[in-house]
Amino acid sequence: MFGEPTLTLGQTIGLLSPELLLLLAGLIILGLDAISPHKEEKAWLPRVTLAGLAAALVAAIMLWGYNTRVLAVLSCDPFALVIKMVALVAMGIVVLVSDVYIRAHSRYQGEFYALLLFSTLAICLLGGATNLIMVYLAFEFLSITSYILTGYLREDKRSTEAAIKYFLYGAAVSSIMLYGMSWFYGLTGTTDLASIASALTETWRPVILPSLVFVAAGFAFKIGAVPFHQWAPDAYEGAPTPVTAFLSVCPKIAGFAVILRVLMTALPPSGLGILGGDWRALLMAISAITMTFGNLVAMWQTNIKRMLAYSSIAQAGYILVGVVSASERGVTAVLLYLLAYAVTNLGAFAVVIAFSNQIGSDEIEDYAGLHKRAPGLALILIICLLSLAGIPLTAGFIGKLWLFSAAYEAGLLWLAAIGVINSVISVSYYWKIIRAIYLLPAETEERLSTSPALSVALGLAVTGVFAVGIFPGLLLDLLRTAAQVFGG
Amino acid sequence: MFPILSVTLLVPLAGAVLIMAIPREDAKSIQRVGIFFAFLTLILTTIIWILVAPNAGEMQLQEKYPWIRTFNVWFHLGVDGLSAPLLFLTALLTTLSLFYSAHTIEERVKEYYFLFLILEMSMFGVFLSLDLVMYYVFWEIELVPMFLLIGVWGGENRQYAALKFFLYTMAGSVAMLLAIIGVYFQTGTFNILEAVTAQPFAGNFVWASVAFWAFFVAFAIKVPAFPFHTWLPDAHTEAPVSGSVILAGILLKLGAYGLIRVVLPMFPAQFKYFVLNVPIIPIMAVASIAYGAMVCMAQWDLKRLIAYSSVAHMGYVTLGLCAAAASIGTLGVETNFNAAASGLSGASFQMFAHGIITGGLFFLVGVIYDRAHTRQLKAFGGLGKQMPYYYSVVLVAGFASLGLPGLAGFWSEFFVFRGAINSIPLAAFIGVLGVVFTAAYILWKIIQYVFLGELDEEKWGHLPDMTWWEKVTMWPLIIIMVFLGFYPAPLLDTFNAAMTTLLQTLP
Repeated sequence: MFGEPTLTLGQTIGLLSPELLLLLAGLIILGLDAISPHKEEKAWLPRVTLAGLAAALVAAIMLWGYNTRVLAVLSCDPFALVIKMVALVAMGIVVLVSDVYIRAHSRYQGEFYALLLFSTLAICLLGGATNLIMVYLAFEFLSITSYILTGYLREDKRSTEAAIKYFLYGAAVSSIMLYGMSWFYGLTGTTDLASIASALTETWRPVILPSLVFVAAGFAFKIGAVPFHQWAPDAYEGAPTPVTAFLSVCPKIAGFAVILRVLMTALPPSGLGILGGDWRALLMAISAITMTFGNLVAMWQTNIKRMLAYSSIAQAGYILVGVVSASERGVTAVLLYLLAYAVTNLGAFAVVIAFSNQIGSDEIEDYAGLHKRAPGLALILIICLLSLAGIPLTAGFIGKLWLFSAAYEAGLLWLAAIGVINSVISVSYYWKIIRAIYLLPAETEERLSTSPALSVALGLAVTGVFAVGIFPGLLLDLLRTAAQVFGG
Repeated sequence: MFPILSVTLLVPLAGAVLIMAIPREDAKSIQRVGIFFAFLTLILTTIIWILVAPNAGEMQLQEKYPWIRTFNVWFHLGVDGLSAPLLFLTALLTTLSLFYSAHTIEERVKEYYFLFLILEMSMFGVFLSLDLVMYYVFWEIELVPMFLLIGVWGGENRQYAALKFFLYTMAGSVAMLLAIIGVYFQTGTFNILEAVTAQPFAGNFVWASVAFWAFFVAFAIKVPAFPFHTWLPDAHTEAPVSGSVILAGILLKLGAYGLIRVVLPMFPAQFKYFVLNVPIIPIMAVASIAYGAMVCMAQWDLKRLIAYSSVAHMGYVTLGLCAAAASIGTLGVETNFNAAASGLSGASFQMFAHGIITGGLFFLVGVIYDRAHTRQLKAFGGLGKQMPYYYSVVLVAGFASLGLPGLAGFWSEFFVFRGAINSIPLAAFIGVLGVVFTAAYILWKIIQYVFLGELDEEKWGHLPDMTWWEKVTMWPLIIIMVFLGFYPAPLLDTFNAAMTTLLQTLP
């Protein structure tokens, strides 16, 4: 089989340093929070969290260039590192947008940040997991922290309801996924992805197909793809808004990382003949249905959180286009779009949070005349919406260009066509927000202010949207290296 | 060498950024900065035209910088005899629009000037791009400022019109995006000139036709050619005066420009096939002319009437292209250079002339609407005596619009029909009838209903004639209409050289 590299303890720690740093930061926060007086403002919490994330990001950057296995179940390769970097950047923005909101809404701040750090840890583990057991464990780890975060406002009925719904749904789906994984183990006698690939043969197709469906159910749940999307709108609406921002981005990063890793490694489309085609066909259907459904339903929403929830379902459908292309360009496109989507969607949510911090509403009609009350917020929200719709000069356009090129190259012109038609449909509901902001008169002239942390988050997001949209060159070289992990 | 093209592209952006820095309350400074930067582009584009004119057939002043290396996307600018006059037209109409708006737009001046300069940049970008991705980028960005200009400063039904405009154009352009991707995977390049040489999908008629239609529909929506025109009357009618001027003057030309720059040279065989063998495109052209003219006859809203006249007039552009496509040689048949170049030059001339004339007409609609607050033709009468200056300016623009010899509109129709008469005689014949209709609605509806007859003293007796700034806005346009009417050579030669080269490079 694969020659297991023998690593010294020091090397192992070095290769796992992003994860270990996150763990350390989380534990420090829990410890310090426990011994610090209860009534205190605790402005240090987000700072320590950000420091932890930044340290992990630096560690991930330092590890760039490595391509080796760690502890037999993890891989430290460019793909895993890119996923970690994207997740860390996204989580940094989430922390920035959480600050004011959490202080205003909850007494338990320490645990909140610790949970955010632990979910980041889970995503980082998922990015590198090369063994089904590891995949499942990290998957559950991420799910459980997400459930708790969703229900974080104990006194808020909606938050609790959202968490219960998310939890019940997630528990059912993850058991199905585990069942599917056990079939793979039963067939091949191994849980290592690469070993599964070499053990599988086409004669098992009748058995592999259902197990594939079971496993895909778990993945679809994580990325919020139809038909496992029902949890998303309720969880998004009920969860504390910073958690909604988190939910709309971070589990998707993890989900797509796992989808690519598992399917491209265990069932490589080039190596296994018909088996590689099966999951592509399955995901093609999911992709087409997901983007169309998400967009069509989003048109009817009047609550901005729900609308962004359905929009993010549609976005997951777009990203799947890159997955089913199953090529170097396809994987690059997925990573690119994940990053573009992360900064864009978090930017949009940062505005929603800034708005609800002061107005306390998430209804689109209350955004009327925002351009007068907060020109900066209005402009940023519009830029983010245009990026979500894929208008040029924004990250969303470059992402879609790559996704649809990958589809075209893979001979999936029809899927690309469905994708672009959906982009047009999506304009019609993003327009509702733009209309409210710019065209409808404001009821009051009262100006809105933004907290410093939120301003930083907004600035980061907009910079990201334009940086990726205008100068994607360097980034693309990086992502291509990551995509080559799967042998192109 | 001085990178004059990228500077021209960046000047409006610089102006927009500068406007961002001026406080909202200081409307005067904002207006001055906006007009100054627009005027700067007018000077730059004039210089570009002068530089390009001697060798108008060649792609000149090219600038090429890598943009996205991994995908072979370049920041590639160039200008030839086709784009140089259109750049000038863009700068001229933008300058006049901003000047006119300084006296008419009072609300949200800062955003207005900001968006207008971004709009100018994106239009420049479309005319300058020689890379398909870049071309698409500017093509799409242009939607956003126009959308907001209509949506914020437009008439009563502005929100509907703005959204319709956006969705229509975007629906067309996403099809084009797929076609652009297809061209890349066929030819390995996004370079328009190289892709033309490589002739994507050549030898595969079905796929070539699919790509052809994907491009064609995107541009036909913008032109707009019947039956894709329905966004236009709403957008033009609801847009603020300067918005209508830019819409009619430039944005429609973006579509026609795309047809000439991209579709015709890249898919000549398909273009010819759908003109001669399956004559869908001539039918669209003739239908635009006939339908536009007939709706004008029945239209009582002055602004809507001018909007529909644009549909008819842009039909001549499409007709000129059909004439050229029909005259292109295929296996064994020599290209009829005379007819093809005549059709293309007529079409390009019409693009420019229509920009000047209809741009002017929309300003003039603004002038009367500002005073009377109605655009209903039946409400007026006898204004010729009340506003003699205005009357004479409308007369010149109106006559230019109906193609009177001695004014700019005449030459475009002349060359279009000269190109069309042999290659597509039936379409040419029906098209000529459209000219008669044009004369009818201009004379009968606009001139007679507004200016002749009895003046309603009580209602309109107080209307003042044109103010100085309205005159300043109109004079450059009137001068160009008359100048080109008597001496079309400078413009015609520039277009003709570019079009001849285009035809020679066809395989």
